[in-house]
Amino acid sequence: MKFPSVRRALPKIFIHLALIVFGGFYTYPFLWMVAGSLKTRQEFFGSRLSLWPRQAIWENYREAWESAKFSVYFGNTVFVTILSTLLVVILTSMAGYALARSSFPGKRILVGVMLATMFLPKGYTIVPIYELIKNLKLLNTLWAVVLVNTATSMVFNSFLFVGYFTTIPKELEEAATLDGANFLTTYLLIALPIARPIIGTVALFEFIDNWNSFFIPLVFTLGRPSLRTLTVGMYALVGESATDWTLLCAAATMSLLPTIILFFLLQRVFVDGIAGAIRG
Amino acid sequence: MGKFMHNVKKHVWSYVFIVPMAILFLGFTVYPLLSSVRYTFYNWSGIGVPKDFVGFKHYINIAKDPFFWNAFRNTFIYAGVLVPVQLSIALVLAVILNSKQLRLKYIFRVIFFSPVVTSTAIVGIVISLLSITAGSEISRVLVQTELINRPIDWLGDPRTAMWIVISVGTWIGLGYPLMYFLAGLQAIDQELYDAAKVDGAGNVDLFWYITVPSIRPVGIVVLLVTTLHSLRVFDIVQVMTKGGPYFATEVVGTYIYRHAFFGTGVGEGDANLGFASAAAFFMGILVMFISVLQVAAVRYAATYRQKRP
Repeated sequence: MKFPSVRRALPKIFIHLALIVFGGFYTYPFLWMVAGSLKTRQEFFGSRLSLWPRQAIWENYREAWESAKFSVYFGNTVFVTILSTLLVVILTSMAGYALARSSFPGKRILVGVMLATMFLPKGYTIVPIYELIKNLKLLNTLWAVVLVNTATSMVFNSFLFVGYFTTIPKELEEAATLDGANFLTTYLLIALPIARPIIGTVALFEFIDNWNSFFIPLVFTLGRPSLRTLTVGMYALVGESATDWTLLCAAATMSLLPTIILFFLLQRVFVDGIAGAIRG
Repeated sequence: MGKFMHNVKKHVWSYVFIVPMAILFLGFTVYPLLSSVRYTFYNWSGIGVPKDFVGFKHYINIAKDPFFWNAFRNTFIYAGVLVPVQLSIALVLAVILNSKQLRLKYIFRVIFFSPVVTSTAIVGIVISLLSITAGSEISRVLVQTELINRPIDWLGDPRTAMWIVISVGTWIGLGYPLMYFLAGLQAIDQELYDAAKVDGAGNVDLFWYITVPSIRPVGIVVLLVTTLHSLRVFDIVQVMTKGGPYFATEVVGTYIYRHAFFGTGVGEGDANLGFASAAAFFMGILVMFISVLQVAAVRYAATYRQKRP
């Protein structure tokens, strides 16, 4: 009786083993980074590939946080990320709602232009954007990063909201309108609460995109080191203390951990969001 | 006209809701698109107003610049290797991660998605440190076993640097196609599998005759997105090699960045935003052309398959 069950269990065990080995290789760079951040410099260069520090020390983190100014960079990143994410959710949910629920004059042209830009080459429009920010007198401010990150996320997310609002029935909103609610109150009290899942998806993806954004903050903080975000600060730190690897590891761990934790906690939202995007 | 104004008034709230998004969209997407096209006709270092009109000279110079074509070729090598490898691994992994018997599903998902949710710029830095460390250990072993005579400087050697960059790019981006495939797999009707099993189909048959055709629509989207994404590669090359050694890993993204902010890097060229914009526009058109071709090819393949008896 035992034999067939073992034979059935074998492929299962094999797949688990293969996944664990592959997953181990796959996450090795992260584990190596965390281990490195907890080692002393001597130990790091003695046991270069090992994953277990003999004794965990936190000195590297203190140094990164204080002398390498990562406390400042962390604050800047939190500021930029939270503000841009909030703005994107508010503005694109409003736009998406209006586009989905009313047929105002000019809507077709607007949607047409928006669709067209999704397929046009843009990636390298940083130069005119830089000029625009310069003319707005926002060069070397964090507002520039917030504004550009927010503005360049408008089209895609507006369409996500349009897609969501067109799938939900209008009856509730129509009833509210009969009761005398106007466009704004209907949006606030009825549409937004229904849209919670898509708000979660947009907010999560925007949070991660903004946290990891590199090129935009790089360009707009070139002249002002105190405005660097974590990604730019990390890039600069490589230039300044290229040989201090344990410090680099600590700084990198600090910068990467928030989004990994966020993903770990909210991974259902991720997979559902992607599944929703495919169906839509 | 009266009716038009009446219509506008009726939708006044809609305009209030649209205007903030529309302003940002026009200012930061439409205007930059149009004016970057205008820059391509000027010599312009980025200071003051562009005055030195040169017509199509930049486009001609780009078409004649061996460095551009080197970057162009590298970009396509990068995408050409990365896309098929990444999609194959992602598909197989998605099938495994979707299987009912798998334990610790959530742990494995976090493992394989984690590079995607982290910053490419920072992970790129960590990887270059690791590649120096692990790379020197590996080449020490290779020298000891006499497979090679001299230690290899993996990222510093023009013959290996590109392959390291491609491997890292594949690793970092794997999570996206994986997520799409997982979502696609979850949408497949389980009864299809049960019916096929009753008819005596094995696991491999199930994969080729049910799984693959069912997720083909998702696959097409993923193929397009990953191709476009990998043709726009910038962060990872910039932080790992800056396009070096000797332009061996220079891609169009870093070529444009170099010309826009630092000049040619060879000889006495200055930063020239006009030239950089022209290169960007040229590449943008090419990429758009390629995605159109890709869509057409996929469509053709689909109809061809249907026509066959």
